[in-house]
Amino acid sequence: MFGTRPDEYPAKLRWPRLGQDAAIVIWPSFLVASVATMVCFAFIDPLLVGNDDSPPPAFASRMTGYAVGFFFFWLVASLSSLLSMYLVRTAHPEPPDNDETKSADRVRSAQ
Amino acid sequence: MTGPDVETDGGLYATRQKIYPREIAGRFQSKRTITVWVLLGIYYLLPWFRWSGRQAVLFDLPARKFHLFALTLWPQDFYFLTWLLVIAALSLFFFTALAGRLFCGYACPQTVWTETFLWMERLVEGSRSQQMKLAKAPWTAQKLLRKGAKQFLWIAFALWTGFTFVGYFTPITELAGLIAHFSTGPWETFWVLFYGGATYVNAGFMREQVCKYMCPYARFQSAMFDKDTLIITYDDQRGEPRGARKKGVDPKSRGLGDCVDCTMCVQVCPTGIDIRQGLQYECIACAACIDACDEVMDKVGYPRGLIRYDTQHGLEGKKKHVVRPRTIVYASLLTALAIGLVVTITHRDAVGVDVLRDRNALFRERADGYVENVYNVKILNKDSAAHEFRITGSGLEGLVVDYAGPTVWVGPGEVQGVPVRLRIPGDELKGGADIQLAVQATDRPDLKAAGKARFIAPSD
Repeated sequence: MFGTRPDEYPAKLRWPRLGQDAAIVIWPSFLVASVATMVCFAFIDPLLVGNDDSPPPAFASRMTGYAVGFFFFWLVASLSSLLSMYLVRTAHPEPPDNDETKSADRVRSAQ
Repeated sequence: MTGPDVETDGGLYATRQKIYPREIAGRFQSKRTITVWVLLGIYYLLPWFRWSGRQAVLFDLPARKFHLFALTLWPQDFYFLTWLLVIAALSLFFFTALAGRLFCGYACPQTVWTETFLWMERLVEGSRSQQMKLAKAPWTAQKLLRKGAKQFLWIAFALWTGFTFVGYFTPITELAGLIAHFSTGPWETFWVLFYGGATYVNAGFMREQVCKYMCPYARFQSAMFDKDTLIITYDDQRGEPRGARKKGVDPKSRGLGDCVDCTMCVQVCPTGIDIRQGLQYECIACAACIDACDEVMDKVGYPRGLIRYDTQHGLEGKKKHVVRPRTIVYASLLTALAIGLVVTITHRDAVGVDVLRDRNALFRERADGYVENVYNVKILNKDSAAHEFRITGSGLEGLVVDYAGPTVWVGPGEVQGVPVRLRIPGDELKGGADIQLAVQATDRPDLKAAGKARFIAPSD
């Protein structure tokens, strides 16, 4: 139903590979980091982090805590995205999964 | 599916050429324009609304509470937000199953802001052909002026967008005052620039690339599709074989279909695809090609709808089903969740209590023979009025509750921490036991809550 794959897309309209890579790493990790920040700070008050016995607390203000948390999550998620992208990009291409090759395999294994 | 201008050998480092969508008027474009105005109107105006003395919609992160008109949400109410997100996701599924990528074409912030930036571009640089001519022209004072004016508009609008965004988190009237005096705090400045910058880059430059390379929804929305989903489609049975023809010539006599191959549908497409090649995931369903084609069909005197909203069943001339298992399941789930949310929010406890043990000492043996434990009791008043609360304890024989009473005043939507000393006679308990602390409003007995805590006594 969705005929045109990104690599078949007219080259003049395509982003450079590096741009695609950057977008693939940065954007999903941004989304995940946003959700992670919301969940994390719904349960944790940044002012109480590292404030168990001895002041000063870890963060000067809640806003600093939220921001540091957000960028930390973004960084971690970016690293994960980066690794995933690297593994996908460097994998050997899968053989086309169609009936022709399957029957060819079957013929070969039968011989 | 490969066009003549495809570089098959990689093209890895090919740079993207800017797409200049031709401006088009028509019934769907008018609807989109109205949607853009309504959505952006809500976005830019909502933070300025007031509600009983405060900003109506304010996500007060420093104070850890969210105000939504009459409702105040606390970190404890976090699951409402999750719930709301689930509802939003399901609505997206529902509308996708019904009418395809309605969200992409009409409501997605990426689309809405890109449209706005395109308008500003047209305002300054003129029509599509004028823009393309200007891009090729040498850098004259005239070009510099036009490009500069466009950048000025874009940047100003992006900054206003960033300011509005931060206005949802910092009271916007205060923020406006701070900005007027150039005295915003570091984080406010940072987030205004961050969100403004993201708007500028996304709507000014990345545009359709966001949909093509970055949007997960664009990739998985086909899972919600079936043969009864509305899609934007070219009727190739009617249109093919396409070709130019003179006016008044019967296309059938030339062996031609209704498509005059004017390529208007390609020129107006904001993602630069040719809808006549069939449904493609780059299509954001903006319906610009429908309006363009209808206009052309009107001109050449053919019936409209060569490119139209239709379903696969419709194209095949079969019966269409709006009500079908998929839509019924989505709709009933959605209704159940929405009703559940409303009921839960209206019936939620207006009072919360949190009991924390004092960390410094497990217990204290007093001279009068009593054993004492110290707690910090946090009373959370989610009601819109202030109340006086009384604290009582239970769970142990002879339990004495001692605090700076007799009542504790807690303002509307506020938390009050109260140091509470609990005492029992020294011979009452060895080791530890669970106790309960309850708070109750003196004027409204139905406003009450209880919290559990551990009472610790010497074990010998």
